[in-house]
Amino acid sequence: VVCSVLHATRQLHTTQQSLAPLPPLPEKGGEVRHGLIPEEFFQFLYPKTGVTGPYMLGTGLVLYLLSKEIYVVNHETVASACILGVIIYGIKRFGPDVAAFADKLNEEKVAKALAVKNEAIESLQTAIEEEKKEQWRVEGRSYLFDAKRNNVAMLLEANYRERLMMVYNEVKKRLDYQVAMQTLKKQKEQDYMIQWVEKNVIQSITPQQQKESIAKCILDLKALSKGAHAAV
Amino acid sequence: MNLSFFDQFMSPSLLGIPLILISLLFPTLLFPSPDNRWITNRISTLQLWFFQLITKQLMTPLNKKGHKWALILLSLMVLLLTINLLGLLPYTFTPTTQLSMNLALAFPLWLATLLTGLRNQPSIALGHLLPEGTPTPLIPALILIETTSLLIRPLALGVRLTANLTAGHLLIQLISTASTVLLPIMPAVSLLTTIILLLLTILEVAVAMIQAYVFVLLLSLYLQENI
Repeated sequence: VVCSVLHATRQLHTTQQSLAPLPPLPEKGGEVRHGLIPEEFFQFLYPKTGVTGPYMLGTGLVLYLLSKEIYVVNHETVASACILGVIIYGIKRFGPDVAAFADKLNEEKVAKALAVKNEAIESLQTAIEEEKKEQWRVEGRSYLFDAKRNNVAMLLEANYRERLMMVYNEVKKRLDYQVAMQTLKKQKEQDYMIQWVEKNVIQSITPQQQKESIAKCILDLKALSKGAHAAV
Repeated sequence: MNLSFFDQFMSPSLLGIPLILISLLFPTLLFPSPDNRWITNRISTLQLWFFQLITKQLMTPLNKKGHKWALILLSLMVLLLTINLLGLLPYTFTPTTQLSMNLALAFPLWLATLLTGLRNQPSIALGHLLPEGTPTPLIPALILIETTSLLIRPLALGVRLTANLTAGHLLIQLISTASTVLLPIMPAVSLLTTIILLLLTILEVAVAMIQAYVFVLLLSLYLQENI
C-alpha cells in the first residue's frame, strides 16, 4: 500500500528533488535470456556449474514442485499455458514493431527540435549573405548616381531642344503670315492695274477706228489668200 | 492448491486481513511515472502516447467544461484495462469480477453526471427523457420508459462489467477443466478443447480491453448529455 501511495503522490511533486542534471539513459536495456532471466544470473552460476547450471536448477525446481505436489496440476495449468502462449506470441510478433514505433516517436521529438535549430541557423546565414550583398551594392553607389545624373541631364537637354523648336516654329509662322500678306497685296495691285488699263483701252477704241481696223483686216486676208493660192 | 471454481472470485484475504486494497492498487506500480527527462525510454514514450491517444478520443466530443473530467476518466480507463488484463494471468484475482466494486465505481460517477446535468441545465437534462418527434399519445409511456432507462444506467454499467469478466473467467476455468480431465481419457478431444481454450483466451483479452473502454465511453456519453 505504501508503495502505491508513494507512487500516486508523485503527482504532487512540483520541483525536482535535486538540481543536478539527470544521468543519461543507457543505450540498451539489460541483457536477458528467454526474455525473463537476466544474463547476470547465468554469469553468476557459470564458474561453479558451467553452462548447463541454471537450466539444471530450473528443471530441478520444477520437477521438485511437481513431484512433491507443492504445485498441483489443475485446470489453471492448462489455462496458464494458453495465456502464456498468447502473450509470448504477441510479444514475439509485435515486439520489434512496437519498439521501432517508440523509437520513431522519440526520433520525431528530437528531429523537431533539431529542425528548429537548423532553421534558425539557416535563416541567420541567409541574413549574412544578404548583408554582404548590400555592402557590395554600397560600393557601386557612385556609378548609380552618375548614371542617374546623366539621365536627368539628357532629359533636361531634350526638353530644352523641344521648346526651342516650338519657339522657332511659332516665329516662322508669324513671319510667313506677314510675307503672305505682302505678296497678296502686290498681286491685288497688279491685277487691278491690268484691269484698269484694259478697261481704258477698250473704252478708247471709237467706232470709227473699229470699222477701219475691220476693213484693213479684210484686205490683209484677201492678200494672204492670194498669196496662199499662188503657193499651192 | 486444489481450486474449486469459486476460489477465483473470492476476495483475497491473508490471515483475516483483506488484501483487496493491495490488489486494487497494484496496477499503479506497473506504470512508470514521467520523469523530468525530455527523451524517455521506450515504455515511458509509449505510455505517454497511449494516454494522449485515449484522452483525445474521450475528450473530443465533450465541451470545455467536460474536460475537467479528463483525469478521472483516463485513470478509470487505465485502471480497468490493467485490472482486466492482469486478471487473465493464472492464479490472479480480478477485482472487477466483484459486483460490489463495479457498482461502487459506476454509481457515484453516473450520479455525478446526472446531478451536474440537473444542476446546471435542468430543463435540457430532463428534456433528454423524451426523444424528438414522438407522437403525442405515446409521450407519457415514453417518459416512464426513458426514466427507467436513466435510473438503470449505473446498474447496467456495473453489471455489464461484472458479468462479462466473470463469465469469461468462468468459461476459461470450465473449458480448461474439461481439457485437463479429458486428457487421459480422449486425448484428441482434449486437444480440440485446448484449441478452443486458445481462441477463448484471445477473445478474453479483447473483451477485457473492450469492456474497460465501453465503461468509460458510456460514462463520457452520459457526461456529454448533461454537462
